[in-house]
Amino acid sequence: MASAFIIKYQKMKFIYKILAITLVLTVFVSCSSDDDTATELTGENSVTIEFDNSVGSDDLLLATSSYTNSQNETLTITRLNYIVSNFRLTNDQGETFTYEKDDSYFVTSEETGNTEVVLENIPAGTYVSITFGVGVDQEKYLQGAEGQGDFLTVAEETNMMWSWQAGYKFLNFEGTFTSETVTETTDFKVHMGSHGSSLDNYKEVTLSLGTDALVSDEMSPIVHLVADANAILDGAHKLSLSEQSVIMVSEEKSPLVALNTASMFTVDHVHNGSEHSH
Amino acid sequence: MLLLGGLLSAKANDLPEVGSYCIWKNTEFEYFCDTCGCGGNGGSMGFGTGLNNNFVGLRYIGQKYRSRDGIFDNSPWINENFNTVQAWGKFPVGKRVLINALLPYHFHNRTFADNTEQTITGVGDATVLAYYNVLRQTPDSIISIKPEHVFQIGVGVKLPTGSFDAANIEGSVNPSFQLGTGSWDYILAANYGVTHRNWGLSALLNYTIKTENSKNYLFGNQWNVAVNTYKTFYVSPSVSLTPQFGLGAEFFEENREFNLTVPDTRGDVYFARFGLETNYNRYALGISSMIPISQNLNEGKVEVKNRVSLYLNINI
Repeated sequence: MASAFIIKYQKMKFIYKILAITLVLTVFVSCSSDDDTATELTGENSVTIEFDNSVGSDDLLLATSSYTNSQNETLTITRLNYIVSNFRLTNDQGETFTYEKDDSYFVTSEETGNTEVVLENIPAGTYVSITFGVGVDQEKYLQGAEGQGDFLTVAEETNMMWSWQAGYKFLNFEGTFTSETVTETTDFKVHMGSHGSSLDNYKEVTLSLGTDALVSDEMSPIVHLVADANAILDGAHKLSLSEQSVIMVSEEKSPLVALNTASMFTVDHVHNGSEHSH
Repeated sequence: MLLLGGLLSAKANDLPEVGSYCIWKNTEFEYFCDTCGCGGNGGSMGFGTGLNNNFVGLRYIGQKYRSRDGIFDNSPWINENFNTVQAWGKFPVGKRVLINALLPYHFHNRTFADNTEQTITGVGDATVLAYYNVLRQTPDSIISIKPEHVFQIGVGVKLPTGSFDAANIEGSVNPSFQLGTGSWDYILAANYGVTHRNWGLSALLNYTIKTENSKNYLFGNQWNVAVNTYKTFYVSPSVSLTPQFGLGAEFFEENREFNLTVPDTRGDVYFARFGLETNYNRYALGISSMIPISQNLNEGKVEVKNRVSLYLNINI
């Protein structure tokens, strides 16, 4: 009787051991698996878009460094300003949120360091792509000077206007260069715009974000874009400064600059969260 | 960023700790730090030392990294110094189970291109690991002339006792500049050692499974692999020297944030390791250095330069 009890007791001890091991394993496994209870994103918050200008894979440093492009022209860039506008964000459901048009015009300027666009009150969601324009669309321009609101002043202060009749400079890209045929350091100016309403150089860009940008009351993402200034003259369309160092109102070259400029943007990364140190 | 902290792990190694009369029996094992940068993840947790020795000790680990402050090829490099002092020990429980415990204290600093300095100081992530001796040990007092093998398997847990600062994962700098991962992490480990006369060889493999912390950041899981060889020379009956040489590797999976992959956070690094341990009666004084042979951390945005460790253990 006693021995049967002992055997039973030992069996139970064994069972307890198994139970204990199972429990430990369960905890282990359950703790290590991802808890994917996708919490619902609610509310609204800001989305910041940083336009980080580069030359190829190097940071753009105004006036202090030069680089040589594929056309064997060596450039020192002293100014890179451009207008970005008409922001739209598309979420993972394929729905597009269009930012209020009157508030959707910005100048980014390397020389002032003002290279961030902050879009306020974006509804909560999981955003997968961004669309924006480079320049000012005809619809906006045709609203006349009074229809431009504060943006007209912003553009004037940042050298992004020729005159009201001639219109906005969508891109103001300046510096100096040398080449095989131009051995003296020579200024270059590339000012691209729509030239009133006669030539429409406004272009739109859509970029996939790579990493989803999460917006909610607690989360305000930063989309970090890189704009490669080399693409302006040395992108898909090759424009030689030796041939023409000042490109302004050019029905032939401005549209090529517009195409190149619209292709200079890439998404480097997306920061999600609320605590941003940068 | 990373790489994350894991890298450092290597440093954690320690030399064999030696009992006064059974030196050659110890294989050392180290258990590494988790995540690159370790700083990030609680520092190197070395649990190593002689497989059959019980000890308490203090260890200093210094690691130097440099990481890119920015996303461009001409972005400045910043130097990062990770310093850790840890109390650690190994204690037997019953005949076949050994408990390793480790509590680090970190004081890390880095200087940015504009000369501002950032310092983080505090307790890191405590780790407890239990090993089971799969092979029965011959008593220490019997000096065997045949090779002796030791094989242990272990499980452990790393507690989020070190603080995790979400601000340090923003920007493009090493995300492992942290006192801890902020998460409960789990460790699976296996150690093998063989000793023969004065020679020894040890190998270890461990895998750290990390979980998401309260800031929704998840450091990538990490593998550590190492092989060490050593030989013990007796200077006198109570004093011995054990030089050692080894190779180690660490592999880091990608980090995730809000369950989204963080680009450029995976990595691998291979180290050569040199060490010397001096034993005097119950005391073991060791120094070791790890030099990277090859590395690819955070797409080249983080580089480990070296790790050194200095420790004093007392066998109990």
